[in-house]
Amino acid sequence: MKQFAEWLSTTSPSVFIQNHNSWVIPTIQSIHIVGIGVVMGSVFMIYLRILGWAGMDQTLRQTTSRFGPWLTGGLYLMLVTGILMVVGEPVRELVTFSFWLKMFLVAVSTLIAAGFQITLRKRERLWEETLVNRRSIKGLAVLTFLIWASIIILGRLIAYDHIWGSWSPATKA
Amino acid sequence: MKIAAFLEWLAASGLAARIRDSKYLFPLLESTHVFGLALVFGTIAIIDLRLLGIASTQRSFQRMASDILKWTWAAFALTALTGSLMFITNAPVYYHNFYFRTKMLLLALSGINMLVFELTAGRTIHGWDRAPSPPRAGKAVAALSLAMWISIIFMGRMIGFTTSRAAVAAPPPAGVNFDDFLQGTPNDSGGPTTTPHNK
Repeated sequence: MKQFAEWLSTTSPSVFIQNHNSWVIPTIQSIHIVGIGVVMGSVFMIYLRILGWAGMDQTLRQTTSRFGPWLTGGLYLMLVTGILMVVGEPVRELVTFSFWLKMFLVAVSTLIAAGFQITLRKRERLWEETLVNRRSIKGLAVLTFLIWASIIILGRLIAYDHIWGSWSPATKA
Repeated sequence: MKIAAFLEWLAASGLAARIRDSKYLFPLLESTHVFGLALVFGTIAIIDLRLLGIASTQRSFQRMASDILKWTWAAFALTALTGSLMFITNAPVYYHNFYFRTKMLLLALSGINMLVFELTAGRTIHGWDRAPSPPRAGKAVAALSLAMWISIIFMGRMIGFTTSRAAVAAPPPAGVNFDDFLQGTPNDSGGPTTTPHNK
């Protein structure tokens, strides 16, 4: 991975970003954070609806139709800006424990979000009348929200990967 | 000047030293700050998009505001707390930083923007609560709010690129040139005393 990261850092898009480092990287990072805001706002509203703490004038399906597309759009925005950050600073991103744990959690939470929206569409009545009231489902909502929170925290910790000590590949260079 | 002495006192406080000397505290404060601001921005954007007539247009504005804004304030409290704790670790430097000052100014302006809303479109809320398209003053406030919050995020990020950590008690482990990974560019002029951080 280190070799790959070093090779990537010699490619022309990467060199371009490195040479315009002073504004390109902060700008991409800022757009990435705007994307996180859209994603977090969206999943947060869906979780609050499942918990019964907000949006109770709307059905579960209405809530996911409102926020689902924004969640997907936000995730695409994050994917594009995220790839640009990896291209711009490959070693800083790829040779970290935080980055890979974050990617694993992104995969898990995206699958949960997609699975939830698909089953809700297929079994709308079951969800609206029964499942949404189950404590296990509410617990799962809280757990998934905590995964999204961890994703944000790990994203910022990429800049501080040394805090993981020997878990960080950067310390084994 | 009194403010200079106050900033020095903040940075010299036991709490500031505790955060500076810890390997974990500053990174955790900063990550929690980003978590909080994601919720602040995300929930404000939901309200602003409703005011602009772009999303949630079928819902009562008041209902949405009472559902959502308490969470916005809770998340804002979290970012203010974590932000203040980061500020005190290097108060004089942050205080003089252009991006920090612009960010504080924009935060104040978005507060004023909220007041403007209360005094204009907010007064006639019963007339448009369920209208898909709120009055023009409401739309203007919402557009300004979105623009200011996106700028606040950018300014916040720029602070990390234009300040240096005051003191690093625990340098990166020997054998690793971690700061080279962070910078990786020829314009790195950071000497041994100015460890670049929070990028």
